[in-house]
Amino acid sequence: MKKSLLLASLLAALFAGCSTTEVEPMGLNAPFPELESDTAEGSGADLSGSEADSGLGLDSEELAKLKASEVLSERSIYFDFDSFAIKAEYENVISAHASFITETNAKVVLYGNASYEGSHEYNLSLGQKRAVAVRDALISLGVSDANIETVSFGEEYANQECTGSACGQDRRTDISYEGE
Amino acid sequence: MNAYIKFFLTIFLTFQMHAATGIETIEILGGRASQIPIAITPFDEQVQFKQLQAQKINQILANDLIRSGLFDVLNTDGVASIPRAVDEVNYSNWSAIQAQFLILGQVLPGTGNDTLEVKWSLVDIFKQKTVMTRILKGNSSQYRAIAHKISDLVYEELTGTKGVFHTKIAFVKKKTQDSYALYVSDYDGFNQKAIVKSQKPIISPRWSPDGKKIAYVSFEKQKPVIYIQDLVSGKRILFANFKGNNSAPAWSPDSQKLAIVLTYSSNSQIYLINHDGSDIKQLMRTYAINTEPTWAPNGEEIYFVSDRGGSGQIYKININTNETKRVTFEGNNNLSPSISADGKLLLFISQKDRKYRVALQNLLNNQYLTLTDGPHDESPLFSPNGHMVLFTYKDFGKTSKIGTVSINGLTKTPINVGSETIMESTWGPITD
Repeated sequence: MKKSLLLASLLAALFAGCSTTEVEPMGLNAPFPELESDTAEGSGADLSGSEADSGLGLDSEELAKLKASEVLSERSIYFDFDSFAIKAEYENVISAHASFITETNAKVVLYGNASYEGSHEYNLSLGQKRAVAVRDALISLGVSDANIETVSFGEEYANQECTGSACGQDRRTDISYEGE
Repeated sequence: MNAYIKFFLTIFLTFQMHAATGIETIEILGGRASQIPIAITPFDEQVQFKQLQAQKINQILANDLIRSGLFDVLNTDGVASIPRAVDEVNYSNWSAIQAQFLILGQVLPGTGNDTLEVKWSLVDIFKQKTVMTRILKGNSSQYRAIAHKISDLVYEELTGTKGVFHTKIAFVKKKTQDSYALYVSDYDGFNQKAIVKSQKPIISPRWSPDGKKIAYVSFEKQKPVIYIQDLVSGKRILFANFKGNNSAPAWSPDSQKLAIVLTYSSNSQIYLINHDGSDIKQLMRTYAINTEPTWAPNGEEIYFVSDRGGSGQIYKININTNETKRVTFEGNNNLSPSISADGKLLLFISQKDRKYRVALQNLLNNQYLTLTDGPHDESPLFSPNGHMVLFTYKDFGKTSKIGTVSINGLTKTPINVGSETIMESTWGPITD
């Protein structure tokens, strides 16, 4: 019958060219890439597409200074719900980092984060906006744009079960030094 | 057959009338009385299967039609004799349970090894006549596919709109903090198969309208980048890896272009780019967030989310004239827009009172209505025929799951694909 031919072609259409296995005869049988090997490229942000390196990595003396300083060991700037304003309590931390980056020509990556409420994509944008807020603060204190990369993790590493003020832990920007 | 289109329109208009009053309780919309009462008999199954079928054909049909929200599938337990063919139908038996239509059939061995033939009929009980009788053939592994095909044929016959019961969906499973996979399955969650696995999060899968590819965002490079994976070959390309974040891929209706979101070193902005990666250009520039682009079916307008007014709201921009208009005004935040295939309905997540729910807005008169109760509903997408919505839901303290809600709000049904966290889904196109 005509209809059965239609069905056959329907079933074949999406999966044309697939090898067959007995396990999932109706499924997508194409081999899929295993990405585990791709993830071992390094722990820093991938900077491909960004401008050429303008700064050198931190030398051992600078690294020691970074480790020894109490204020520089503070790396997280927390924000209010749906907010990007940097609170007064973080002014010291940001200004200490601005001075250190300027002195050493260090490169930093600012990782923005958001709590889980709302869509993954909008939270990616909110996290980015928090990273940009810290970037703008650093630039206003004299840090060069070329020393800063901004990346958002959105809600992807947020606590998915928090309620109330506990979710505040996820509304933050983390400062990460390259080569640390 | 088109007499029943009118019936469907009645349901839809009733639902919109209630929307005008601002009533958010979905139970009253359209009302169960406006669903098509249909009886589905157990089929006379004369085929031995190597593997037990999880559901019989009549159960698959019932689940399909119930999920659509447009059918009242009647309990047939009390009916004395089950007809195997049209000439065995006792009309008064079926009138007695108020059936307007009846589906019956037989599953018979086919001519080849491991094949079967399903002979089935749709009968109009009111008019006492057969609407259609068909034979669908396949091998035994196509048992569910054949059932879905019957659902599609019945659905189109009785509503005037193509069914989506043969279509596929894709979704992300998060097994542990460092184990993610993008799966493809039948629309009802059966026949699931991973197409990509990663130790890092995967979000925003989007099936190309031509059915051949899925674009998605992966964090495997320690930041969000966009891949496009070919569903036939399984091969994928790193589509967008610009400085900063790369996310929110959205296919144009002809699958030739994508809208994507890039940040470089500033806030999220929308760019248009050809499907081969050429000719990238920024759509607009504001200091505010612009993200979650989605194309109107005319290919000329893009709906998106921006916080330019202080909170996340949905706007639209004409990509030729750059004329921009705000579209949503109800609620504190309105996110994740999706447009129905006829361009008339906007689907999104609406946040009020710290609850995130699936909402619909009629774009012709801006009537607004919520379809679900939240508290954490996300990523709503229209079925390709616009009659159902695929979405993610999560109760406080629970893992998120996916399910469907019919656009008349009458039926909410989970899609059971596992006990893990299930999120970020997409619906493949109608393929015939």
